Amino acid sequence: MSENAKKPKRPRGRARLLEGKCIACGGRCEAACPVNCIVLDEAGAPIIDAPKCIGCTKCVKVCPASALEMSFTSQELAILAELEKSGTAVEEEDPEAAAIARLQAAYRGVWVFVEQEDGEAARVSWELLGKGKELATKLGTGLAAVVIGHNVEHLCSEAFCYGAEKAYLLDAPVYAAYRTQSYLEAMHHLINSHKPEVILMGATGMGRDLAGAVATRIGTGLTADCTGLDIDDKRNLMQTRPAFGGNIMATIMCDKYRPQMASVRPHVMKMPDEQKGATGEIIRSDYQVGEDSVLAKVLEVIKDNDATNQLDIGGAEFIVSGGRGLMGPENFAMLQELATELGGVVGASRSAVDAGWMSHDRQVGQTGKTVRPKIYIACGISGAIQHLVGMQDADLIIAINRDKDAPVFEVAHYGIVGDLFQIVPELTRQIKELKKNKGKVN
Amino acid sequence: MTPTPIVFAPLFILATAIFVFSCWKRLSLTCLGKGDNRLDNIGRRIADTLGYAFAQRRVLAKPSGMIHLIIFWCFLVLLLANGEFILQGFFPSISFSKLPDMAFVLVLKAIDIASLLALGAVITASIRRIIAPPYPEARNSFEAFFILFLIAVLMLAYFGINAAKMAAMAVATRQIAIETFPISGWFVQFVPAGNEKLFHDLSWWIHAIVLLLFMNLLPLSKHFHIITAIPNVFLRRLEQPVLPQREEFKAGNSFGIDQIDGYSWKELLDTFSCTECGRCQNACPAHLTGKPLNPRQLIHDLKINLMQNGTALRQGQTAVKALIGEGEGAVSEEAIWACTTCMACLESCPVFIEQMPKLIPLRRHLVEMQAKFPEELLNLFENIEGRSNPWGIAPSERGKWANLLGERPFVAGETEYLFYVGCAGSFDSRSKQISVALALLLDKAGVNWGMLGKDELCCGDSLRRLGNEYAFETTAVKNAALFNELGVKKVIVQCPHCFTTLQNDYRQYGVELELIHHSQLLVQLAESGKLPLNNRVKELGVTTYHDSCYLGRHNGIYDEPRQVLELATGRPPKEMERNREDGFCCGAGGGRMWLEEFTGERINLVRVKEALEQQPDTICTACPYCMTMFEDGLKDLHKGGDVQVKDIAEVMAEAVLTKL
Repeated sequence: MSENAKKPKRPRGRARLLEGKCIACGGRCEAACPVNCIVLDEAGAPIIDAPKCIGCTKCVKVCPASALEMSFTSQELAILAELEKSGTAVEEEDPEAAAIARLQAAYRGVWVFVEQEDGEAARVSWELLGKGKELATKLGTGLAAVVIGHNVEHLCSEAFCYGAEKAYLLDAPVYAAYRTQSYLEAMHHLINSHKPEVILMGATGMGRDLAGAVATRIGTGLTADCTGLDIDDKRNLMQTRPAFGGNIMATIMCDKYRPQMASVRPHVMKMPDEQKGATGEIIRSDYQVGEDSVLAKVLEVIKDNDATNQLDIGGAEFIVSGGRGLMGPENFAMLQELATELGGVVGASRSAVDAGWMSHDRQVGQTGKTVRPKIYIACGISGAIQHLVGMQDADLIIAINRDKDAPVFEVAHYGIVGDLFQIVPELTRQIKELKKNKGKVN
Repeated sequence: MTPTPIVFAPLFILATAIFVFSCWKRLSLTCLGKGDNRLDNIGRRIADTLGYAFAQRRVLAKPSGMIHLIIFWCFLVLLLANGEFILQGFFPSISFSKLPDMAFVLVLKAIDIASLLALGAVITASIRRIIAPPYPEARNSFEAFFILFLIAVLMLAYFGINAAKMAAMAVATRQIAIETFPISGWFVQFVPAGNEKLFHDLSWWIHAIVLLLFMNLLPLSKHFHIITAIPNVFLRRLEQPVLPQREEFKAGNSFGIDQIDGYSWKELLDTFSCTECGRCQNACPAHLTGKPLNPRQLIHDLKINLMQNGTALRQGQTAVKALIGEGEGAVSEEAIWACTTCMACLESCPVFIEQMPKLIPLRRHLVEMQAKFPEELLNLFENIEGRSNPWGIAPSERGKWANLLGERPFVAGETEYLFYVGCAGSFDSRSKQISVALALLLDKAGVNWGMLGKDELCCGDSLRRLGNEYAFETTAVKNAALFNELGVKKVIVQCPHCFTTLQNDYRQYGVELELIHHSQLLVQLAESGKLPLNNRVKELGVTTYHDSCYLGRHNGIYDEPRQVLELATGRPPKEMERNREDGFCCGAGGGRMWLEEFTGERINLVRVKEALEQQPDTICTACPYCMTMFEDGLKDLHKGGDVQVKDIAEVMAEAVLTKL
């Protein structure tokens, strides 16, 4: 290493393995090395090609057993000692980290994509504005809404009422109906122009489609279906979500790239209070995507408006479900009462649908609907695996069955072994009572 | 009119030319198909042809098949008569009368009898077709009745010729002739006196013209089978069971079949060999329960599609008539998905047409090229691809059914048998009980076994049968690597679907395993004394056994499960009406376990009702799919309390593990 007479360069040393300490973790050191100077031997321990080592200390930091250290020649040790004495030790910057920090400094602001259809906003967008405000405050930056569509300016005002300070508006006929390509180009343009550091989207059909496309185009990270969002001390967004079949909660960070993207399911974040009359700044963009360049064309929209018997239980937050134990179609009225008190819907297992007690659109299970409600109450349902597939991701499962060995109790959080014809009406009565008393207390 | 060669010869040559052209026009279409080597194992092929085509083995599986046997053999005998007839048309001097006396009498007697039998057979066939047709449309088949009519005319014309010849003889010779050939002789009374020559010539020309007409009608109708059936049997697929081929997943390839020339030439020949007898449709569980799938109709539609598209395809253009769609000459999507791959259609076909294997490539096209498949399959595909089981349960849960048994890892080089539990046996609460029963039995018998635990992956059977070959390939490759790495040789399975996939389909991935279904193993263990039968299980009462399609028709295992039941309970199970090779599917095969049935009657309900006819106390199964179908079916019929369903392993466990 050459010595600079004016300012002695701090020797970086070379990495060295401490004998006997390696736990053969699988080669994190090998993976971390930017110059590929580490190979693993048969026992899984690192062999370091010392002349190639640039002393970046990445392997030392990543080793879970602290089995690596930086080693210095006697000359280097002498320099280090001198630097220590003279106190002119300059902490050399890790060039890579410096570059990242510079890049990220350019990105500021929390954005929430406002999903809309025919000028009507999806409720999840407002929920995200509430959370977004929290994040923006922690980051010391502003909250903006992104509104893309045709004749959708009124949504900007609505966004202000839910906490947005700015609204980026792209209003043009080409954005009238959602198409991946046009919205992707629009978002790309906005992101490049204004560089937000966080983008939140609702994990709806449209959101899932757009978020992934945007993240891939920009070349950044996206965590889908987050249940928790927070900011750490390095301005990183901490994105928390269940993983491995719900067995663990993982917190994921996108620490090298910006913007950090996350999507959140509806009804996960709290709906903020509406501040009527709030105002903000509308930033209009006239960026247009050429209609001819968009390959997908919306030819016809067919709405399924028959809401009488057809019901999409897939989106319900509370589901009270009945199975063979209900004995007959007339008993489902009892479940409907409970569902109404909870503000939810009635579902059914395969047996009930096969018996003709409920229509097929209510069927929960392998060949019916997969539901992820907040609360799933399974009444008289044995819990055969084909049913569990459809509801095992519910946040809270309550099972009511007179058979204590019913498999449903294996997945239920709470179970009541008993006669559902007594339990369900009692449950309904008590909830009504609770609601009445709550009113009195207030 | 005398049978002058000058008139007959050109007529014959013309008719034959038209006939040959007709045949060529159709058969050459098979050249549009892909290659397939069907000339291996010639010895076996000849034997099969003798047994199935000449001895009509499968035809005789139904009693009405006797009619066809008679017609077939009479035709063969009458080839002699017709040979002489045609040659006589060219060279009037050719005649059997030139043979030595003994031979002459023998030949003519044989022809006489054959003609009478044929006449009787076609009359019987016609009556049968009216009062008890194999399927209702058969009653209205003009071409069927017309052909029968023509055969009758041929027979009568032949008698007419002979009778006229006899009538023209001197009284004394006539008497001898009538005595020697009484059948033809009986017709002499109808020959008008003085007009013997006219009668003779009329009969001769009627015979000639009808013969040439008959010959030319063959390629135009289902009676083409007269030409194609024997070759079709000779060229049959020898490998059992029928396996789909692997696909090559390279960019630019097309997957599955959506145009008729995607099939092999043999598959196209199949469509010309169908006699429309209806045996397949009368065995098909989908058709019998009102689904739009009809194997006979499938073959017919493929033939029509081939003929309608022949010209375009030969010129290298795309087909004008779509293969997948509605109407004649197309296969509907609902029909494609309705198949349970039970193989009853292949089993019943007398000329070895393969109906079911023609549907799988269509499924592949829908799944892999169009992503167009029933909604219910989305969950299934995602779950198997992501979590390697159809229910999307965390893989770490897989070995937990055996928690109380302790760790049973399969150690390479040490463990003899791999107990490949399968997804149902690992996750489904009812099937887990079968796994436990089997594991306890294996322990009791001192079998050296281990399992893969959470490293076990789904075998992928449902994926392959549903046409998701890409996902199947991914799974199979992983499994093959795992088996090879661990040096697995012998595998015990409780599920026939795992059995057939690991034994047969995985051969295409370089894995040669020795699969033992638990029924086979239990019989071996019991007979060798390793499983003491302490308690001949009486509490199960009257038992009946339902044949699993994948165990039975696909892999030929019918006896062992019954033996298990007999060993365990002391007596053989009662047989259902449709059993063994004729067994009726439970409805869950072919990936239909994961699909809803919206049309017609539920297949499983039909089978459960059939089982209940035996008034059993316990219905025994050897497959987790069948178990589920039966239990659900009994519940739907409100018989859940009276009749129980048990796997054969559970029955054996009760016999071995409980002491009196």
